Amino acid sequence: MNDHKSAVPVLESRRLTKRFGGLIAVGDLDLVVWPNQIASVIGPNGAGKTTFFNCISGFYTPDEGELLFYGVPIHGLRPDQISAMGIARTYQNIHLFAGMTALENVLVGIHSNLRATPVGAMLRMPLTQEEEEAALVKAYELLEFVDLAQEADTLATNLAYGNQRRLEIARALASDPYLLLLDEPTAGMNPHETEAMMQFIRRLRDERDLTILLIEHDMKVVMSISDQVTVLDYGRKISEGTPEQVQNDPLVIEAYLGAPADELVSGFLGGE
Amino acid sequence: MLQNRLHGWSDALREGLSAGFITGLILLFLILIGVPVRLENLALFSLLLTTAIFGIRIGRRLWRAGLGDVLSNALVAGLLAGVMVLLLMALVNRWQARGIDVKRYFDSVSTQTVTVLSGVPAAELHPNPPIDPLTGRYVEGRPVRTDPFRLTFNEETGLRLKFGMTGDSVFDLNLRIGGLYGFVVLLMLTSALAAVVTWAWLAADVGRYRRQFSGRLTGNPVARWAILLLPVLFFGLFWLTEGQGVVDPVLRLRAGEREAQLLIAFLIILWALVAMRSAEANDWGLGYTARIGIVAASVGALVLIGIGRITGNNSTFIAPVSEPRGSQTLSALALVIAGAALIIQSAVLLRRPGRFESQFAIATSLSVLMILPLYLDQYQTDVMTLVGINIMLGLGLNIVVGYAGLLDLGYVAFFALGAYTYAFLSSNQMVFDSNNQPIGLKFAGNDEAVVRAAGWLTITLFVASAVIAAGLWRWRRVQAGRAKAALVRRPLIGVAPRPSTGVSVLLVVLAVGTSALVAMLLDGSSLYDRLFSGASPFLIGLVAGVIVSGIAGIMLGIPVLRLRGDYLAIVTLGFGEIIRLLFNNLRSFTGGPQGVLQIPRPLPENVSGPASYLALLYLVLLGSALIAFLSARLKQSRTGRAWSAMKSDEKIAQSMGINLVQAKLTAFAIGAMFAGIGGVLFAARQRNIFPGDFRLDVSIEVLSLVIIGGMGSIPGVIMGAIVLIGIPEVLRELATYRILVFGALLVAMVIIRPRGLLPAPTPELSARARQLAQARNPGRAQEEVQE
Ligand SMILES: Nc1ncnc2c1ncn2[C@@H]1O[C@H](COP(=O)(O)OP(=O)(O)OP(=O)(O)O)[C@@H](O)[C@H]1O
Ligand SMILES: [Mg+2]
Repeated sequence: MNDHKSAVPVLESRRLTKRFGGLIAVGDLDLVVWPNQIASVIGPNGAGKTTFFNCISGFYTPDEGELLFYGVPIHGLRPDQISAMGIARTYQNIHLFAGMTALENVLVGIHSNLRATPVGAMLRMPLTQEEEEAALVKAYELLEFVDLAQEADTLATNLAYGNQRRLEIARALASDPYLLLLDEPTAGMNPHETEAMMQFIRRLRDERDLTILLIEHDMKVVMSISDQVTVLDYGRKISEGTPEQVQNDPLVIEAYLGAPADELVSGFLGGE
Repeated sequence: MLQNRLHGWSDALREGLSAGFITGLILLFLILIGVPVRLENLALFSLLLTTAIFGIRIGRRLWRAGLGDVLSNALVAGLLAGVMVLLLMALVNRWQARGIDVKRYFDSVSTQTVTVLSGVPAAELHPNPPIDPLTGRYVEGRPVRTDPFRLTFNEETGLRLKFGMTGDSVFDLNLRIGGLYGFVVLLMLTSALAAVVTWAWLAADVGRYRRQFSGRLTGNPVARWAILLLPVLFFGLFWLTEGQGVVDPVLRLRAGEREAQLLIAFLIILWALVAMRSAEANDWGLGYTARIGIVAASVGALVLIGIGRITGNNSTFIAPVSEPRGSQTLSALALVIAGAALIIQSAVLLRRPGRFESQFAIATSLSVLMILPLYLDQYQTDVMTLVGINIMLGLGLNIVVGYAGLLDLGYVAFFALGAYTYAFLSSNQMVFDSNNQPIGLKFAGNDEAVVRAAGWLTITLFVASAVIAAGLWRWRRVQAGRAKAALVRRPLIGVAPRPSTGVSVLLVVLAVGTSALVAMLLDGSSLYDRLFSGASPFLIGLVAGVIVSGIAGIMLGIPVLRLRGDYLAIVTLGFGEIIRLLFNNLRSFTGGPQGVLQIPRPLPENVSGPASYLALLYLVLLGSALIAFLSARLKQSRTGRAWSAMKSDEKIAQSMGINLVQAKLTAFAIGAMFAGIGGVLFAARQRNIFPGDFRLDVSIEVLSLVIIGGMGSIPGVIMGAIVLIGIPEVLRELATYRILVFGALLVAMVIIRPRGLLPAPTPELSARARQLAQARNPGRAQEEVQE
């Protein structure tokens, strides 16, 4: 990781803390994500991973600490401002716009890259028209990219589960983000689909010049595609490093599995 | 053993029992709020409608179980509903027996209802019957008590079903069964009939035939052309009912002719909507010349018919000061210009393949709608104007509720603001001194100076916003040129969606400067006087009304930004009432409950003849068409998508980069502006407005028509306005019970067509997207073929 030191990190979290009443959901979290990496956040249920994502995307205002995006502080900004800066995300429980078609969902994702005003739309100014056509093409190409072009006119609610996941990613990609946050993208998928999703995430990073921050429960996925892994437990960082470093950390094994045990290590390594 | 049996029964009849229970509760509610059962028309029908809806439900749910089950359940449902009413009547009876004044407790239960349901004539119903003041004894012996178990078979207390338009009723049936038995039998019959018909419908799979039929219909060229031509055909029908000058009408309608004609006019509008919707991408193998020729010929023919009417009947709609009876030349000219515009627009659009059907439908429908008003008399014009105003209101509310999902129950406030703004600026009402001599205008608005100032302000605003818009447009051109295309990845950090302070200041200075210059020029050259002197202040009122209600929309929007759902509904409801109460109570400013009188029409005061009412209708039609057009464009834009994302999930929409404040405020402002236009035209139609015209009912009516027509659907809103405003106006007997019908219709709609009469179709953008993508990257087509 040394070669990154000279560059600016895409995301930097400094002593980030978020409390819910007495509960410390995220505590004193330091985390650095470098350009073009796939970084993973793992941890047992309730460790505070989703809360961390919600802080980044602006749903929660952190109680303490800082969040820097390419060196610019983003804590305290509204979600729409953060999205407009180039951070996009998907959700643990899929949140699509149910009454809109797949294509429209992606078009909504492009929102912050468009400039059309209501007046422009009503008068259908030439610039608005150009922009609208470009957006339509782009949305369609994104659907092709995630292999959903056939379903472009299907309502989001009527899509199959796996397709909904991919649509959510396409919608997140639509704003051409610099940083993509994926919250458990393989949740509820069978091993075959999981494998495909892994390939897809790699492809995203390589073809689209993206930095990816990933929450994942499937250790096989985490260990095989991450450049860097951070482990949370009760809101605190307990370990950090390359996949190999992390999976050999006794603290992690204990926290993750509740008890130090040899036979569990093999499960942790990703055996089915 | 017996218990098992009972269990078996109750299981088998569960549907019927629960449906009956609910129906009974609804009936009780209706009776308690004062629906007279013996009302000669609608109220009883609506009671029966409730029962029928539950019958349909039973038929649907149990259709697999067989006819026997359906029938028994439906009968049980009707019976149980009747029993609930019986319980109420038994209570009434007991209280009467104790000498309690029933009417005091069931204030609303009408005497008619008690009479019919108890079989006791109205005269005998008094718990304390009339006493002879001299003797102090009952006038006619002891009072008769109601008896819910009494059965009568006479005309006087029998249930009577009656229905019809003004004049003789179409349908009149006295069941001659009085007392609850008749009512219960009626309920059971209705419920059973509805259930069995539904069962038969489902069992016979009628839907399949319908699908087959419509499949065959769309495949059949004659049928397709018939659909496309239906507006014109219906117009032909209308034409036949109308005498042409000295010629007698071919088709003679007797009683209710005006109403029947209005209904045909509504049908023309509805079929225009249907024809435009069902048009397919089909050119019928015609070349460009043939296509444009057909469209131009039909538009031209319709315009000629219209001109014939104008000259033959003096049905004019434009009247300059010099021609108070309306100018035939100008009216005809307007038709010709509109027709020419339609033809030119078609000529441009028809260049693209696959547009013929839709363009033909649009051009003919619009031309028919353009000449239709020329055939209406004053009463019909009035109804149409009302419908048109409600279409505007509906389309405006549709933006707030249907597109953006913000439940606004105070929508009438913007309507009121538009109306009052125009009224203040134009009313000719005078104030009189003690000798009954006029001493001046009651509302200073119509004063020369104020009108002048308003005109000034308007011109300045227009010039300034034009300058700013042009400046911004230029600025964005430059920006876009720099970034090459709108969609490349935006520069990291420091996005500049808005001009810098320097550019903004420059723009404002420019705008102010130009408008001041224009104002000075106008003033110096006395052009202003020539432009505005003598003309009615309608235009100024219109612009001012729109601006005022738009600003009010934003002002309501700001405090309610954080509210959602029920809270939003309550607060907006309060806002609507506050505005009305302000108009009601600020007497010295607003005229209070006496309202504002003598509001001028859009045309000069001395105009008479058809022009005096047709002009308004044309304005209303033009306004609704414009609003519909703008709504449609908004929906397919970035703003429209932001609204529907916000409607679907506010938080997620925000995390997609949508500025919620901006999105909500634009929705409120645009919706309010549309209502403002409606308000100005309403004031011009009524000529006298009162705070009572802007009660909560209006908001609810408009909301109902949006829901019944189909939320978010423009044809739906138009249809909703016709069904809920136009048709009741025609069947005027029912108009008193409009709210009741709204209720019944809403319930029925939610059960039968939850998405409205003409729901918004899901937009199918992929074909166009594919086309555009191929146009940009021709290599793709081959790739796809190779795959
Ligand atoms: N809005 C909230 N209010 C109160 N407590 C919350 C809120 N959101 C999360 N929490 C709590 O914060 C803790 C962290 O939750 P979080 O959802 O971040 O966990 P997670 O690591 O994403 O778990 P999982 O793997 O199950 O998704 C949990 O104890 C949760 O109950
Ligand atoms: Mg989580």
